[in-house]
Amino acid sequence: MIVRLLVAVAVAAACGALALWWRKREGRLVEADGSFDRRDLGIGLRDRPCATIVEFYGEGCAPCLVVEKRLDHIAETVCDLRVVRFDAGERLDLADRYNVRRVPTLFVTDPDLRIRWRASGVPTEDAIMNALLGPEWAGRPNPSLADSDSRS
Amino acid sequence: MATRMIDRNGHRWGAAISAVVLYLGLIFDARWVAPVVLVALGIGVVFGLRYSPLGATYRFVKRTFKLSIPVVPEEEPPPRFAQLMGFAFLLAATIGFYPLDNAAAGWSLTMIVAALQTLLATTGICVGCEVYLIGKRFSARSAA
Repeated sequence: MIVRLLVAVAVAAACGALALWWRKREGRLVEADGSFDRRDLGIGLRDRPCATIVEFYGEGCAPCLVVEKRLDHIAETVCDLRVVRFDAGERLDLADRYNVRRVPTLFVTDPDLRIRWRASGVPTEDAIMNALLGPEWAGRPNPSLADSDSRS
Repeated sequence: MATRMIDRNGHRWGAAISAVVLYLGLIFDARWVAPVVLVALGIGVVFGLRYSPLGATYRFVKRTFKLSIPVVPEEEPPPRFAQLMGFAFLLAATIGFYPLDNAAAGWSLTMIVAALQTLLATTGICVGCEVYLIGKRFSARSAA
């Protein structure tokens, strides 16, 4: 019985370790490079949003619904932000081109559509806001910092 | 036709219950837990997850203790496929236990299911759902 107990504990502990590792990397925004093609995103040449978030979602993907809600909320808060969503199952060409291996995956780009950050999984709203409004505003000076600079 | 939705919390709760039952089965060498969980998963696979006895326990607890846990909607096909995977492993485990009398094979297969259910319950990672989505992408790719 002790051996069986040890096996059960070992399996549960291995799952716990895997869960901790997964939680640590799940939804973490990491710096990335590359850029999006305007035509892929349907953004015109004269159109220049302050930043663009590109989300790849999947049919039947529950975490994608959470990301969608968070992005909707952020889009209401951050002016001139463009959010573009693709069904990865329907747009396999884009998923392949931008190396999307799982859903949800999101990209944060600067006004020139250069990719600054990417994340797989469900980033927190704060993490997405930090990527947008951190020391650099998706590549440009953070407007809130610029305001405080001009005031001082 | 609209896709049927389920509550993701019920799915995770069911995974936790079945994982605990399978671990206890291993500790007390109760081989019968494999066919019992097999039947519970089978009911969900055949009739839909809303009829799964594992998910029913979640609704019962939620109702009895008047818990106001918000529903997290999820489309049913991926978790249903995940339960099908669990069903297949436990079917193989049951065959290992009873006709073949091979406890090592039976418990190994049972522990794979217990591990996957633990992951789902503790983190929400549904390996079977990921396999389903990868399969869908592959089928869409080959159809294109």
